[in-house]
Amino acid sequence: MNKKALVIDDNANNLLLEKDLLEVAGFEVFEAENATVGIAIARKEKPDIIIMDVRLPDMRGSEAARILRQDKEMSEIPIVFVTASVLAEGREEIKPITNSGFIGKPINTRTFVTEISQFIKGDR
Amino acid sequence: MKNKNEELLKGKKFFEGIKFWQKQISELGNLKACLERKKSESKKFPQKLQNKVEIRTAAERMIIKQLHQEIEQRKQTELLAQEERNYAESIINTVREPLIALDQELRVVTVSRSFYDVFKVKPEETVGQLIYDLGNKQWNIPKLRELLETILPKKTTFDNYEVEHDFAVIGRRIMLLNARQIQRVLGKERIILLAIEDITERKEIEAGLEKTRKELEATKISEDAARNYAESIINTVREPLIALDQDLRVVYVSRSFYEFFKVKPEETVGQLIYDLGNKQWNIPKLRELLETILPQKTTFDNYEVEHNFAVIGRRIMLLNARQIERVLGKERIILLAIEDITERKEIEAGLEKTRKDLEVIKKSADEVSEFSESVINTVREPLISLDKDLRVVTVSRSFYEFFKVKPEETVGQLIYDLGNKQWNIPKLRELLETILPQKTTFDNYEVEHNFAVIGRRIMLLNARQIERGTGKERIILLAIEDITERKEIENGLEKAHKELQELAVELKRTTRAKSEFLANMSHELRTPLNSINGFSEILYDETFGSLNEKQKKYVDYVLTSGKHLLLLINQILDMAKVEAGKMKLVLSGLPMKSLLNEISLLVADMVSKKKIEMSLEIAEDLPNIEGDELKVKEILYNLLSNAVKFTPEGGKIGMRAKKADSEIEIVVWDTGVGIASENMGKIFEGFFRVDTPYSRVTEGTGLGLPLSKKLVELHGGKFSVESDGLNRGTLVRFTLPIIPRKVV
Repeated sequence: MNKKALVIDDNANNLLLEKDLLEVAGFEVFEAENATVGIAIARKEKPDIIIMDVRLPDMRGSEAARILRQDKEMSEIPIVFVTASVLAEGREEIKPITNSGFIGKPINTRTFVTEISQFIKGDR
Repeated sequence: MKNKNEELLKGKKFFEGIKFWQKQISELGNLKACLERKKSESKKFPQKLQNKVEIRTAAERMIIKQLHQEIEQRKQTELLAQEERNYAESIINTVREPLIALDQELRVVTVSRSFYDVFKVKPEETVGQLIYDLGNKQWNIPKLRELLETILPKKTTFDNYEVEHDFAVIGRRIMLLNARQIQRVLGKERIILLAIEDITERKEIEAGLEKTRKELEATKISEDAARNYAESIINTVREPLIALDQDLRVVYVSRSFYEFFKVKPEETVGQLIYDLGNKQWNIPKLRELLETILPQKTTFDNYEVEHNFAVIGRRIMLLNARQIERVLGKERIILLAIEDITERKEIEAGLEKTRKDLEVIKKSADEVSEFSESVINTVREPLISLDKDLRVVTVSRSFYEFFKVKPEETVGQLIYDLGNKQWNIPKLRELLETILPQKTTFDNYEVEHNFAVIGRRIMLLNARQIERGTGKERIILLAIEDITERKEIENGLEKAHKELQELAVELKRTTRAKSEFLANMSHELRTPLNSINGFSEILYDETFGSLNEKQKKYVDYVLTSGKHLLLLINQILDMAKVEAGKMKLVLSGLPMKSLLNEISLLVADMVSKKKIEMSLEIAEDLPNIEGDELKVKEILYNLLSNAVKFTPEGGKIGMRAKKADSEIEIVVWDTGVGIASENMGKIFEGFFRVDTPYSRVTEGTGLGLPLSKKLVELHGGKFSVESDGLNRGTLVRFTLPIIPRKVV
């Protein structure tokens, strides 16, 4: 069974790019354009990995991550922030979140999936 | 002054002592003469006394004669010849003086006439009377009672019983009483015959003699006393005193002399004065005094002699001498009083000096006042001095110049009236009339006034109320400093300071805004770049189907441009970070030899494409360094890629690396376009592009060189660019410390 990836990004192009790359690599991809929808999908689908932007229309990515971490069923899901906020300030914001990663935009399409895969524990 | 007075007083006392002594001596002479006279008088005296007695005896003979007649009468009447003979004999024996005969009961029986004469009593009030009652009881004399009642009953006679009595009529008398107790021939009754001799005068003469004798004795004593006195004067006066004989040998020396001149009595008395104390008294002036002056005059006063004594040092002495004759004998004595006036002289000299100093001070006071006037005239600040009535006394030249007033319309004027009353300034009035009377000074009183001639001025007033050196008048010295310009500058400075503060706040705000702007820009540029680059790559990689050659080539152009844009964004951000001091190095050990090779490989593709020759000279002993790996790689990549970019085909590039002390030195060179010397200063400005035919086709951000320089400097290294000119190649030399001194 294919691994499930949830991509949360308000930029439709980025969402499409990441979805394409992941689907090509064999992921089952779920999309959300804001945090609220993303969290709902995550609850429902329990993805293997969540890929999200830091700036989201309804809340900060770090806030969404905190909500996810508080939910027992989703506290273990690795979260990779893919963000254009590559400066130190942006990185500080997501540092405290456990089991999380960072990929700056623009992404390297040739290495993106490999980078993502590193965060998924071998069990699932 | 006090000391001097004391000294003078002492001197005066001393001479008074001398005079007294001399007076004593002359009195002694008088006394001696008096003594001689009295002596001779007393020799003559007994003769006189005898004469007197003889005269008296003549008078008494008359009485005796009368008595004889009486006796004859009694003979006749009583016929007691024998008794009468005895009686008469007794009378004769006793009769010289006034005579009185008393019966057993001490009643007067007979009285001689001389008795009546002497004692001024009358016969009728005498005979039959108790002797004590005679003459109003004036004979009631205790001593007489004792004599008649006590002595006479035991002895039948007494002689020369001296009785002194103050009689009412004849005054104090001294009497010599002689008594005989006789028995009358007939009958048993006893008769007391009392002869009274008046020895008052004799006594007086005797007393005079005694007195003279005593005086003589006293004189003898006082002569000794005078000598003793003189000697004790010599010994007690503080001034050293020395008495010399005619041969100038020491006769006597006062104790103070010994003490003062540190000489001993045994080596002094009898010596020639000049030989005293190792001949230290051999003073020419003293010789002159004693040998030349004194023989001519018997006295000299206050002869000043200065001499350097062996023992007591240099002394100034005041010599006073008297030539006197000694009381006994004819020898002449020179009395020399030596007053040490060294200290007094010093005091006098001090006084003189003080007086001179005072003169100097007075002179300098004049100079000072002259000086102060010249000060007033030379100071740049306008200065004006006013009297108590606020009228102008003196005005400095600068005042005239500054306030455009003339001397003739200034001095003597009320300050407020100066220059068409333009000085009638309320604040100045307040200052001069209210503040200054209470305080004698005020500083930095700021006054702003619009003067008719010189316009609006801000002045700083400083005032001193001083008393003029001469006289008691008070002067107000007013210094006027024109601070108009200073104020303007101050105001300007204050304004500038405020602006600067505002600017600093603004700068902080803009820095924050800038960094926020850069962060936002970075974010907003990256988001579309993510799509551009991402989709370009997917297309180029033909993930979703193959492209024809042209399509692929164009997608590559899009991708390259996208990557260039991304590089530009990253470099701009880095520059901003470095400039804001926010760039942080992440230090680790860097294996430099492999790192250099690694970077050279990154450009190897470009090098071979451009048919450029690249040479690497990396020293064998090149050490590893501590540094930020990404940054060091970025520097090397920037420089090598620049070398490739700016070197035409067929050119050469190269990299050399070696150890230099505690650093490594890396040189990246090329034979490319070089840098015109006039552009050397611009190459570190952002976006400088060398205007060459190649530059148009060459990709570059224009930020590589300045950013590399900043990153080198961030590591603590040096960065320099050399070029011999346009088309003559470029050499970039930089160093990196093996261990960075400061980690930023």
